[in-house]
Amino acid sequence: MSATEDKMSEYRICKKCIMDTSDPGIIFDDNGVCEYCQNFNKVILPSWEYGRGHIDELQQVADNIRKVGKGKDFDCIIGLSGGLDSSYTAYVAKEIMGLRPLLFHVDAGWNTDQAVGNIEKLVDGLGLDLFTEVVNWEEMKDLQLSYLKSQVPDQDKPQDTAFFSALYTFARKHKIKYVLTGGNYSTECCREPEEWGAYPGIDKMLTLDIHRKYGSRPLKSYPIVDLLVYKAYYQYILGMKVFKPLNYVPFVKSDAEKLLKERFDWEPFQHKHHESRFTRFYEDYWLPKKFGFEKRRAHFSSLVMTGQMTREDAINRISRPEMDDKFIKNEFEFVANKLGITVDQLQEIFDGENKTFRDYRNKYTLIRVGFNVLKALGIEKRHF
Amino acid sequence: MLRPRIIPCLLMRDKGLVKTVKFKEGKYIGDPINAVRIFNEKEADELIVLDIDATTHGTEPDFHRISYLASECQMPLCYGGGVHTVDQAKKIIALGVEKVAISSAAVENPEIISKISAEIGRQSVVVVLDIKKKRLIKAFDVWSHNATKNSKRDVLSVIEQVQKLGAGEVVLNFIDRDGTMKGYDIDFINKVKSVCRVPLTVLGGAGSLSDMGDVVARCGLVGLAAGSLLVFKGKYRAVLINYPSDEVKNNNIYNRLKHD
Amino acid sequence: MIAIINYGLGNIQAFVNVYRKLHIDVRVANEPGDLVDASKLILPGVGAFDHAMKSFNDSGMREDAECMVLDGNVPVLGICVGMQMLADSSVEGSEAGLGWIGGKVLPFTEATGAQNLPIPHMGWNDVTNIGDSPLFSGLEDAAKFYFLHSYFFECANSSQSIAISNYGVDFSCAVNSNNVYGVQFHPEKSHHFGVQLLKNFSDI
Repeated sequence: MSATEDKMSEYRICKKCIMDTSDPGIIFDDNGVCEYCQNFNKVILPSWEYGRGHIDELQQVADNIRKVGKGKDFDCIIGLSGGLDSSYTAYVAKEIMGLRPLLFHVDAGWNTDQAVGNIEKLVDGLGLDLFTEVVNWEEMKDLQLSYLKSQVPDQDKPQDTAFFSALYTFARKHKIKYVLTGGNYSTECCREPEEWGAYPGIDKMLTLDIHRKYGSRPLKSYPIVDLLVYKAYYQYILGMKVFKPLNYVPFVKSDAEKLLKERFDWEPFQHKHHESRFTRFYEDYWLPKKFGFEKRRAHFSSLVMTGQMTREDAINRISRPEMDDKFIKNEFEFVANKLGITVDQLQEIFDGENKTFRDYRNKYTLIRVGFNVLKALGIEKRHF
Repeated sequence: MLRPRIIPCLLMRDKGLVKTVKFKEGKYIGDPINAVRIFNEKEADELIVLDIDATTHGTEPDFHRISYLASECQMPLCYGGGVHTVDQAKKIIALGVEKVAISSAAVENPEIISKISAEIGRQSVVVVLDIKKKRLIKAFDVWSHNATKNSKRDVLSVIEQVQKLGAGEVVLNFIDRDGTMKGYDIDFINKVKSVCRVPLTVLGGAGSLSDMGDVVARCGLVGLAAGSLLVFKGKYRAVLINYPSDEVKNNNIYNRLKHD
Repeated sequence: MIAIINYGLGNIQAFVNVYRKLHIDVRVANEPGDLVDASKLILPGVGAFDHAMKSFNDSGMREDAECMVLDGNVPVLGICVGMQMLADSSVEGSEAGLGWIGGKVLPFTEATGAQNLPIPHMGWNDVTNIGDSPLFSGLEDAAKFYFLHSYFFECANSSQSIAISNYGVDFSCAVNSNNVYGVQFHPEKSHHFGVQLLKNFSDI
């Protein structure tokens, strides 16, 4: 029996969180604790400290942002999906940091009623201005279909790419120096393994190669800014700064949900990323059923590591799907219809052979090298 | 109590939705399917979807798309755009649409109203009149083809004619107020209301719910259609589908209704 | 299996959509054979009374449906003009109605108080449930439905009226006699209220 076969026949799950060998590269220590927990305890926690004790740092950044933005209509920009993290970021920016952010929403065609309702409530409740970038749906649809046909696991790339690219492009165009995001350790400290198809950042070469092979109409207005461009050019050369306020305040999921509910009548989602109907379908059905990857495993593990969920609850929750079969059937039909294909055609893609990004032209190695260079330069402080 | 209907009006162009200003420009606001879906989830009273290029381009209604939109609607749907024949109207109704809007055909070939009405029932025949104030005098002409063709016919006489022929509803679309959000033309609406014996719906100018309240306070029961108000938010006109809840409708509109 | 009687009139697809989303078996019945194993019938209808009656009579399905409803006790739900067809007659036309529920269909214009109102009665109106019909289970309070009609049903036996609405005049907007049900409004286009009612019908 070869080593790889041996490894596949063995199942292990972390003793502290619920990460397991569905991440084929996972490493456990002698106590059966996974590398994600170790990274959290050794690297993240000592500097993060559950967001406590950072208020001075936060106010310092806030002072800077206010200074730079003086006399402008807004002093920073926040990408708002209507989900918890971005919604709470908007709240922190306005109410705790005293900033005048522009809320920036990208509509890629899959918003849920709940997401747009939450955005409306926040805009009204915080008295902030909103700007929406609507991605041309015919192009979006073409790219999403291309991705589906490419059979790579990372089917949310077309949406993610549009969200970030539109935000950075807008910030650059309007010379907005500070971009605030909802990125945070509290609910995201357990990284989604790359082996689950979470491709690192926006690789224009990969996306365009997939689109060239399977697409049928040109991408004229679809926003796409390559990772190396926004990291190196926007951030390093133009000095655009990405700031994550949620790491500087105590951010407990249930408390934040409660506060937003009480203050703004904001509605919590059943699970992370449910603000987009496609993402919900992709993460709760397509990825686990077709590829065997459960992103919820990482989401719950983050909550376990940060003490917001017990390991037992996480195991209970992950052992049953978020959506029942009937709901999934409706969603399957909706996704097919929305993409302009039949249910049978979508099923055919679902049943097709899985591939990876390595089957297409990509800059993976360069991106990896780039990360290391930026890290060495001190620009990228990626803790994981 | 019969409530004034608050009706989002969505304009389709080249498979997407746009929002115009005075029938011009046309800002892209996204994919019709998701917009319809969200209005459905928000339990909108009714929905009007108009393909604004079908007549100008001389194309047939996009039946496949209409069928799909209808399947997403658990509310009455009124479709308009490029409907010129009885067969088209019948086909649209068969796809699950409640009402068919006739616009340029109603002006150019009014008899078509009786023919369509005889087939699908007058309750399903909506005549949409794009109207523009005449210069100097307080009267409105009926226009067509995206406000490029003036029929030079007076609105009041056209309404008199179409309701005799079998229209079940009249939608007045005020060209000069389209997308301006500066309020409805209440004086003229009131004038039309007094001669209109079928349900009347007005479109053009809604900038707030109190604009809608103003109409029903003065004119009584009138259908209140709106574009910009229900798809834009704030000073940057950010695209964000919104629709008032029952409570908000009650406080801002229903409780101001003048009873006939 | 719920069969939607398709005799060429009415918004058939809307019912199919609602039941599909509820995961309840539904079929469009285009000919008598399609009715055979149905456990419930829905009789939709729009447009003029005579046109609707003639179309139903000509569809070839009337006899089978009548046999199922009157002899077989199969529940039937008439909707809008489909409800009016359940009556004996309508002032709107000269065709005889089905007579499954005694009554006649009157125009709003002849009813006191409604002369000056726009016709048709169009929009969302309150529906007050006045019996304890399972059709309105869960819809006891503040139910509103979408109406689109110019004529209304007057029951011969007022106890067969199970819900009322008002448009210048109080009128029966839902009727029931044994296994025969009718609603004047459009449940298939009345959001969650209508979905509930159609689900209730499937549970009868």
